[in-house]
Amino acid sequence: MAAKFLATDKLTEWIAELSASRQVLVPVKEQGAVVFRPYGKGVTPVLDRQANVPPKGSIFPASQRLMTFTYTKNPEDLGQVAVEVHETVEAEPTVVFGGRPCDARGFTVFDRVYDCKKVQDPYYKARRENTLFVTLACADPENACFCHWVGSSPSDPDGSDVLMTPIEGGFLVEDVSKRGKALVASKLLTDGSKRAKEAQAVKDAAQAALGEAWSPEKAPAKLLEKFDDMGFWEDVSAKCISCGACTYLCPTCYCFNVTDERKGMRGERIRTWDNCMSFQFTMEASGHNPRPTKAHRLKNRVGHKFSYYPDIHGGVFACCGCGRCIKLCPVSVDIREIVRLSVERPVSKPEKK
Amino acid sequence: MDKEMRIVGFLCNWCSYGGADTAGVGRFLQPTDLRIIRLPCSGRIDPLFVLKTLIGGADGVLVSGCHPRDCHYSEGNYYARRRLEVLKRFLPVIGIDQGRFEYTWVSASEGQRWQHVVTTFTNQIHALGPIQRIGKDAQARACAFGRTLEVDIPA
Amino acid sequence: MPVLDELKAQIARRLPELDMVIGWGHGYDSLHRTPLFIENEADIDKLVFDPLCVHNLATYLTRHGNAKKIGVVVKGCDSRSVVELLQEKLVSRDNVVIFGLPCEGVADLGKVKRALTDLGLDIGRVRETATGGGKLTLTVSGKEVVLPMSEVMADKCGRCRYHNAVLHDEFAGTPVEGQAKDAYADVASFESQTLEERMEFWREQMERCVRCYACRNACPLCVCRDYCIAQSRDPGWVSQRDGLEEKFFFQMIHAMHLAGRCTECGECERACPVDIPLLLLKRKLGKEIKDLFDYSAGTELEIKPPLLAFKVEEDNINERGW
Repeated sequence: MAAKFLATDKLTEWIAELSASRQVLVPVKEQGAVVFRPYGKGVTPVLDRQANVPPKGSIFPASQRLMTFTYTKNPEDLGQVAVEVHETVEAEPTVVFGGRPCDARGFTVFDRVYDCKKVQDPYYKARRENTLFVTLACADPENACFCHWVGSSPSDPDGSDVLMTPIEGGFLVEDVSKRGKALVASKLLTDGSKRAKEAQAVKDAAQAALGEAWSPEKAPAKLLEKFDDMGFWEDVSAKCISCGACTYLCPTCYCFNVTDERKGMRGERIRTWDNCMSFQFTMEASGHNPRPTKAHRLKNRVGHKFSYYPDIHGGVFACCGCGRCIKLCPVSVDIREIVRLSVERPVSKPEKK
Repeated sequence: MDKEMRIVGFLCNWCSYGGADTAGVGRFLQPTDLRIIRLPCSGRIDPLFVLKTLIGGADGVLVSGCHPRDCHYSEGNYYARRRLEVLKRFLPVIGIDQGRFEYTWVSASEGQRWQHVVTTFTNQIHALGPIQRIGKDAQARACAFGRTLEVDIPA
Repeated sequence: MPVLDELKAQIARRLPELDMVIGWGHGYDSLHRTPLFIENEADIDKLVFDPLCVHNLATYLTRHGNAKKIGVVVKGCDSRSVVELLQEKLVSRDNVVIFGLPCEGVADLGKVKRALTDLGLDIGRVRETATGGGKLTLTVSGKEVVLPMSEVMADKCGRCRYHNAVLHDEFAGTPVEGQAKDAYADVASFESQTLEERMEFWREQMERCVRCYACRNACPLCVCRDYCIAQSRDPGWVSQRDGLEEKFFFQMIHAMHLAGRCTECGECERACPVDIPLLLLKRKLGKEIKDLFDYSAGTELEIKPPLLAFKVEEDNINERGW
């Protein structure tokens, strides 16, 4: 499909046009952070930087109601209690506008788990099918960006429906999926075929600015080798404070918790984000915890992303290289450093002092 | 007659609960807004009880214990006095009027004083009106994801 | 001798008797430092000390079990956290060796970000940083930007009353003279708004919260961590819902549990990945504690924190005659 062009001064108009029939989520500045919010009157999209919080919640909300339930007592026989369950699958047509390739790509990691042959999560699917991504390619990567390490790039269309590349005077707009075709049909977009080369130059420059990629291809095997090397994990996890910033802000982290929240005779079952860096994550009902220390938990997090997931899913890393875990970690734990060390450092002698 | 406000009272078992009972025995007339929760001692009161009550939607919270120097457990109310004074002064920073929370000391024989406390406090809360909940309009302001679930579970 | 060299020499001398010394090292880019765990002599050379060393390392003292003897490098504000931990007997005096430093202020990376954004630049692209001479000299996107420390210094530094470590076993450098005044102007300014405006402010701020607990885990005095009541189901103080009331109530738990203990180091606010001004709540508490009990957390080793103690006749509490 031929590329289109959108002039900078037509940008807000296009967003407004899209929001006539759908909810459009755009990056917005709040205090010093950038988060996704619904577009509306008076909302100013901020497109020049990566958002602090990825648009993960558009498809996978931080807490999502799965069902409501109501208990009723039989007035004739109060010992008899019936329960009525009401499923709540809902999805509003949505466009995530202005995310980066790493944000949209995160959902390709989710798809292999939530929507595959064995398992189709209806809540996930409903939202996934109703959410489109108009992604902005990166012109200038940041210090913590490493998408090229994990098979992606600053202009990776994987996971997006429309890719916009910033060029002089506006954006090159390319539909990169079947669903994207409908979005670029707007009259506000003119023919952009003559500008395609310019856009390619921007994409190439961004790729070059990233520098050379370090390949984590040996990581899956090396991380497994280090499974029992607690000395190594204690070393790399020493400064971690076991919060959840990295997990909750990661576009590919997909673990959840299901709880029943009940008030008297009524309640709801909700699914909420869960965090493998927290002590309770593997706490068993018996009181035993197979991952009792942060060393164990960091080993799991890095292992999952760079070893276990690739092993199950054909070598694809469960990481999009967005760098949020590095930038937003209160103590600057660097997952790149840990993966590199796991490959380059030999297995240490068992049990440090 | 104003609609009843939701006022919660945390009373210590020995003095204040006894004092409220004395007021009842003496048939002293009081507003009925106050709902009492009995605790062994005012020292048992975690300031978080009061905060959870206010944030959960109560219009006012009253705490009452034994007079200082007369605590049934000797020292409980000394700790309570410090904690609750700090809590009372803290409320304005989160946008809650200090007048919605009061702590007082009522002994078991002070039925009339209890009547006075309840009446005064209830009138104070009525004057302040219903509390603004921090979750107000949350549904309207929330974005599609992280859809906040403050709304009551449908019956 | 420069402060850093003096510090390195002190650590080298004491390291044999210690399991580790915690200091700061270089982080993932030139603007970021990161906690450094020194266990061997070779690690000592990785140590740095400059206005980018923002982390309060006292938070690690309660994570290694009391059995280990740990050395910790602290600035003035950090040392107060160590003292408060000692006051509460959460850390044993025999198990900690305090390497104190003088400090003239640290940079607030949020302010650096704003300053760069105003110039059309991005903090994520800083290639080189030089500290010294009372300014930050940054090379970003091919341009050189000079930011005077007075513009990017953390707010807490402008009102710092303890430039030097208040308690130390070793001290490197010359103590900084002087003491700023702190009249809690930030709290007063916030409270000049109406009650409805204040509550609206918190609504807007807490909407962003993702309940990552970075604020809690970065806090040196929040020691419950894994057993925090905000995450427990029994008792169930807060449900799992991602609601505004739930997120706000967690902040209430945190603030109340820190009343009379918080040293206002600001780590909670710094750690927050979505930039919520959390310190304000603790500052309000600090102000009230100061007014009521004339107490500042973590300044004197022998005092019992006020909410763990009582007086039969209180100096500043009106008995609330009804």
